[in-house]
Amino acid sequence: MGLEQYQGDMNMCCRCSACKWVPMQRVSGHQFANVCPSISRYNFHSYSGGGRVNIGAAALKNGFNYTPKLLDIVYNCQLCGACGVSCNYAMDMEVLAPITEFRIKCVEDGKTHPALDKAIAGLRQTGSLAPVKGKRGDWAAGLKLKDAGKDKVDVLLYIGDLTSYDPELQKVAQATARILQKAGVDFGIAGDAETSCGGEAYEMGYQQDFLNQARKNMDYIKQAGIKTVVTPSPHAYHSFKVLYDKFKLKDDLKVLHITEYIQQLVQDGKLKPNKRVDLAVTYHDPCHLGRLGEPWIHWQGKKVPGDRFVFDPPKVYRRGTNGVYEPPRNVLKSIPGIKLTEMNRIREYAWCCGAGGGVNLSNPEFSQWTARERIDEATATGAEAVVTACTLCAKNFNTAIDATGSRLKVYDIVELFEQAIA
Amino acid sequence: MTSMALSKQVYTEFEDVVGPEYLCDDPAIMPSYHGTEFAAVILPENTTQVQAIIRLCNKHKLPFRPVCTGWTGKFAPGFLYIDLRRMNRIIEINEKNMYAVVEPYVITAQLQAELMKRGLHLNVKGAGSNCSAMLRGHGHLDQTTSGDDRNHLAIEWVTPAGDIVRSGSLGSGDEWFCGDGPGPSLRSILTSAVPPGVTPGVFTKAAMKVYHWPGPAQFPIAGVSPNYQLSAIPPNMMARYYSFPSVEKMWQAEIKIGESEIAFELMGFNIAMVAANISTSNEEEEKNFKRLSKEIQGPGFFIILAGNSAADFAYKQRVLNRIVSDNDGKSVTSLEDPRTEGILLCQCIRISASIRETFRPGGMFKSIPVMGQRDLTIKWAIGAGKAKEPLIKKGLIVDDGGAAFGWGVEQGHLGKTEIFCKYDPHNEVANQAVEDWHKEQSDRAFKERYFALLVGQNAEIGRALSNYDKWWNEIQKSFDPNRVSPEGGALV
Repeated sequence: MGLEQYQGDMNMCCRCSACKWVPMQRVSGHQFANVCPSISRYNFHSYSGGGRVNIGAAALKNGFNYTPKLLDIVYNCQLCGACGVSCNYAMDMEVLAPITEFRIKCVEDGKTHPALDKAIAGLRQTGSLAPVKGKRGDWAAGLKLKDAGKDKVDVLLYIGDLTSYDPELQKVAQATARILQKAGVDFGIAGDAETSCGGEAYEMGYQQDFLNQARKNMDYIKQAGIKTVVTPSPHAYHSFKVLYDKFKLKDDLKVLHITEYIQQLVQDGKLKPNKRVDLAVTYHDPCHLGRLGEPWIHWQGKKVPGDRFVFDPPKVYRRGTNGVYEPPRNVLKSIPGIKLTEMNRIREYAWCCGAGGGVNLSNPEFSQWTARERIDEATATGAEAVVTACTLCAKNFNTAIDATGSRLKVYDIVELFEQAIA
Repeated sequence: MTSMALSKQVYTEFEDVVGPEYLCDDPAIMPSYHGTEFAAVILPENTTQVQAIIRLCNKHKLPFRPVCTGWTGKFAPGFLYIDLRRMNRIIEINEKNMYAVVEPYVITAQLQAELMKRGLHLNVKGAGSNCSAMLRGHGHLDQTTSGDDRNHLAIEWVTPAGDIVRSGSLGSGDEWFCGDGPGPSLRSILTSAVPPGVTPGVFTKAAMKVYHWPGPAQFPIAGVSPNYQLSAIPPNMMARYYSFPSVEKMWQAEIKIGESEIAFELMGFNIAMVAANISTSNEEEEKNFKRLSKEIQGPGFFIILAGNSAADFAYKQRVLNRIVSDNDGKSVTSLEDPRTEGILLCQCIRISASIRETFRPGGMFKSIPVMGQRDLTIKWAIGAGKAKEPLIKKGLIVDDGGAAFGWGVEQGHLGKTEIFCKYDPHNEVANQAVEDWHKEQSDRAFKERYFALLVGQNAEIGRALSNYDKWWNEIQKSFDPNRVSPEGGALV
């Protein structure tokens, strides 16, 4: 069905420009009112959520007339979903889905971006979208973790491409594993057998590569008899929980982000964060854990004939309402000494870190521009550090901080939590 | 590239003004610009660039159309589209003299948020707080802030010939406090609401009058979109919906509320609009409309009280209760629930309602707004509402009970009444039916001497009003000798 299934949604766009801003009630001043990095950076309406669906609707009507400008518009979008949240405050229409489908259509038509082609070539060869250095399971050396493929375990700890291979980020994987060990969780890892969740490939437009990865992962999970996946990666979380479900590959797999799991372990008394971590922080909501992390909603139906856009059965839209917002905050609040100050744009209307949708590869300048905007916002809170729950966000922020000379520190939430239970 | 494209040489001249990043004539972007094949889209950063662009338009006889937030309009192909998006600065908030100077792409929500921190607010136009703060129009707060015929103070205007004109006090100094002097007023040209009401040229800055805000510096919003609510109703604030046994009773209550000057907002919502605003989806809206329709006794209005102190608030409540009681009004008690009350407070003050009640149900709406004395315009609107009923029965437009809506302006000294048809623009039968309704009811408004915004009937209105349209055209020609700004749009 592809883009065609969203023709009615795209036709609903009334060009109100709500997609460019945080929801109006949340506008707290002149600054930090924008929500879409793409329109904020490139200014032409075509780069907004509304502009993109206008272009999609026109393409279905008049044909796909690819120009360099059109592809510039298509690939300069993090697919962060903020446009859809702001639109769906008031409107009943899909926004992010047709934008994603448009990109998939570009790839199907061979209108790809060379940097993304290169990344996908790497994925096909190595099972990773991140550069491969050494073996995938090297990060776990010395931790004595179970092999989930061989040992029967309750929980599979899935790490993800970037955190597995990036020497600067492997500490997040290690901290996560040590936290689970401390809680006495019966878990294992796939180690060298772990392969990309495929979610980023999907957002880059390479749907078939995503499906290949999804099937590989679910084959592994089924063979290992795993019922629960826990991951520190919002991208993996989004893939396993949302995208695999969308494509009916998830079955009854339980998927938890590490912050949800830690919150539960603290509530159950299995983890006791009692050591002070004196730090003033602000929290950055990763898009794939926050607004994009809400469950997939399967729906099939048709419009009820008549005056109003209502459907039989009623269509429930994913408006960002049920994303993972409180667990990371609760984990932070459970750490003695942490002082959390919120930024202006948070939860469902958080500003993206800039790295999503393959933009960190296809347009590093735009990715960094977006990150700098977030660093400025974080700095304005007076915090010493920005805490996130996504290593891709952390990496992008660190690059921006290095370039600007900001003194802001960046932590993954598990790093701070581990200090509190050490 | 289309035949309407700029020549390479002309393109380069415009590019030299704004830089290559801010000019585009690629056909790929045009579907997002109202589906119109513009010659190009250009994004100036400041007044100097706007002036240079307009001078080039004159040099090349290229018509242009300026647009700020852009939620409007039918456009002619081949024009240069001046997208004012980069002109997004708040120049000044003058608390002492109670005005704010903004560029065209500051949206109302931004300015309002800054003003609230300072104990001030502004008129939020009915189009919504997602639109330009300098947009001319009317809205929910007209009762206490009037409409923008009054609220524009000094204006910086780049004329269609490329001259920079500073109106009002700005014309004689560097102060923005007055639109009418000392210095040139130009009110009839710059802020006229008479059709066609399309000032040529570009407004690059405008001072907006601001008002006292008795509410909090920021609403205490809780919840996740679209389920926002207030964690607590701010002190000395209250929102209610009252229905009345007749239009006459409702109108009498409106008059008394105006005379007593107790309302912060008085919005003659019909109950369908209330249902739209408290609902997060079309399905929910339909259910709420049916439910609320059973809770009202007749036409009604929505009112917000905002006291400057507990005593002031208590006084206003007492007066309101007396007025409602004297006119047999009844509160819709289910809307008194603090959760719903909070939604309505925030929705109506911060958003000015709008999208949920206009575009969401059917995808499009068509409206006839009528300015004048409320009791007269309501009578006209009742007829327009009855004319909607066959369309509702056929399922061509959204069922809102056929009702109109409206509100007092300047404590009821003036008023506005408006009626919508909400429909699916992709349904040809519905489209035609709404067009026919619109024309018939607009014609009736004209014949019955109502001041309606009757687009396309300028000649007829002109004959009735001293041929003002001919004078308007003459004035336009003198300001725009090369006819590069034929569609106006300085304020859009």
